[in-house]
Amino acid sequence: MSNLLVPGAFHWLVVSSLLFSIGVYGLLTRRNAVGVLMSVELSLNSAALNFVLLNRFFAPGKVDGAIMALFIVTVAAAEAVVGMAIFVALYRQRKSVDVNRMNMMSG
Amino acid sequence: MLVGNETLYTILFYALSLAAVLFALLMVCTKKILRSAAYLMAVLSVTAGYYMLLGQEFMAGVQILVYVGGIVVLFIFAVMLTRSVELDEDKPTLGRRLLALLVSVLLFAFSVVMFSWSELPVLLPGLPGSSSGSAVAEIGRRLLDTGPTGYVIPFEVVSLLLLAALIGSIAVAKYDSSSGGGAR
Repeated sequence: MSNLLVPGAFHWLVVSSLLFSIGVYGLLTRRNAVGVLMSVELSLNSAALNFVLLNRFFAPGKVDGAIMALFIVTVAAAEAVVGMAIFVALYRQRKSVDVNRMNMMSG
Repeated sequence: MLVGNETLYTILFYALSLAAVLFALLMVCTKKILRSAAYLMAVLSVTAGYYMLLGQEFMAGVQILVYVGGIVVLFIFAVMLTRSVELDEDKPTLGRRLLALLVSVLLFAFSVVMFSWSELPVLLPGLPGSSSGSAVAEIGRRLLDTGPTGYVIPFEVVSLLLLAALIGSIAVAKYDSSSGGGAR
């Protein structure tokens, strides 16, 4: 097997940034607010993956990157909970979670 | 570390990457929002596999418990409570899709160029080492360490954040617009 194929830090970083870019694409194209939040979660997930892989390749034997990833997961959970509560309240008032029609604060 | 073999490690990495990218693309492209949640669950599970491959078994467990078991279920609840299933995700306009594609491809290309330009100070090339031993014990020790390298203050702040998110989300979701005045 060629040595270039064996996944090193570069391969991992490329995969992680590819996942992040897909999350950004979803963030920009979704109309449903829940879908937007899901894309944000995908991006956050790739950020946590980045922390863990950098920990593994650049500081082996330490656990700081894993602890940062742990905090990211916690904050993502809090964000999802608050986002869902906002969407439920919004749906009760406007009967829709279409982000194209969320314009009550404009103008 | 469960994988000591370089060939196996490489094959697993590429298989997991293929699965992750495929499921992520399906997630952002499907029109049905519940299917999107299922694909998100698949991507997050694959990420747990990544953590196993990187030698962080504890993170893999947390990923399954919190993300797959908690957040995705929350999303499915959100979809059902807001009746998003009926909101047919009509095709985004071509201009918007092109713009989003342009932005994400530019972002990806920029980061890949930056990665290839920068000289990464790799301390541990190739194979994941079996050096870590028990990372779980070390994580637990560091989280409650009050010394200069400890994480006890962020740990407490994060627990406060979770409490605030819990109470705040109940307060926000409980608000009934028919009984009270205020914001329309």
